[in-house]
Amino acid sequence: MTDDWRQAWAPVIESIGVELHDEPPRYGPDRIEAGAVRRYLEPLEFDCALHYDADVARAHGHADIVAPCTSLLTFATGPLWEPGQTVFVGAERDAQPARSTLRPRMPQGAPPVSAFFATETDIEYLRPVLVGERLGRRGNRLLSCEPKETRVGRGAFVVIESEIVDEAGEAVARIRAGLYLYNPHTAAGS
Amino acid sequence: MTQLSWDAVSVGDTLQPQSFPISVYRLVVAAGANRDFNAIHHNTAFAQATGAPEMYANTLFLQGMWERTVRRYIGLGGTIRRLASFRMNSFNCVGETVVVKGEVVRKWREGPDGLLEIRVWSENGDRVSVGPGAMVVSLPVDPQ
Repeated sequence: MTDDWRQAWAPVIESIGVELHDEPPRYGPDRIEAGAVRRYLEPLEFDCALHYDADVARAHGHADIVAPCTSLLTFATGPLWEPGQTVFVGAERDAQPARSTLRPRMPQGAPPVSAFFATETDIEYLRPVLVGERLGRRGNRLLSCEPKETRVGRGAFVVIESEIVDEAGEAVARIRAGLYLYNPHTAAGS
Repeated sequence: MTQLSWDAVSVGDTLQPQSFPISVYRLVVAAGANRDFNAIHHNTAFAQATGAPEMYANTLFLQGMWERTVRRYIGLGGTIRRLASFRMNSFNCVGETVVVKGEVVRKWREGPDGLLEIRVWSENGDRVSVGPGAMVVSLPVDPQ
């Protein structure tokens, strides 16, 4: 009885090693823009001229401004809103949009969870990415799933492998992303 | 930014620590910049409902802290090849200051390329909040 929540992850564990969504790459909505790269630098106070000065980038062998390597996921992420959609559906203080561009896609039969956060990341950067390029995500291969109760809730640690690809479908980065998917403990302490 | 040569690096060399005070304002700017709008990163009540003590820095923001720290060390002529074992140990919450540190732990050649493995970690108060992980970089090699 007490292990029912662990058993609920069985369909996910059975999908280890499987490509969960075998489909074409999903591309970010925009080509990488110099302004978007500049804004990426702002909260980091990241003063590297490769990322804002095309002349400096060219002097170092690049054809244009280089996107920070940690920004590639940002530029490969889908839009929050698209024409024809309504995503802001409630006026409650903490209302969430009707869709999330970040929520990981789990196999059919996975137990519902209300929260998740990233736990571990490995990324291999295969080449510099420049402004003007358009990036997408390809692949969603489940590498591991370990149900576990932590101090924040009950859920599972999963690791998913994917690629960031350019418009030609060539990989520019390979990612192994760890996530903890969980249902938080309630105030009653369940 | 000074250009470092691979030949000038020794295992054990350390990177200049970089500090990142985390305010609500900065977290909001980070969410807008890196497009991680998960409410756990800008909404106290939402974050606490998921078991966190407060709103906390998102992964891309924390990875960017490592990139800035390593880039400052390797200069414009260096190339970041890999981010490895970027492991979140604890939340990096609003009101705290993250300090990123690093140390060269390996140095080797692959053909014409001079490579380094830099051990990197984030400190937050008296704990290591992210890592230790590594960034693998290449640097210009001095002409023979």
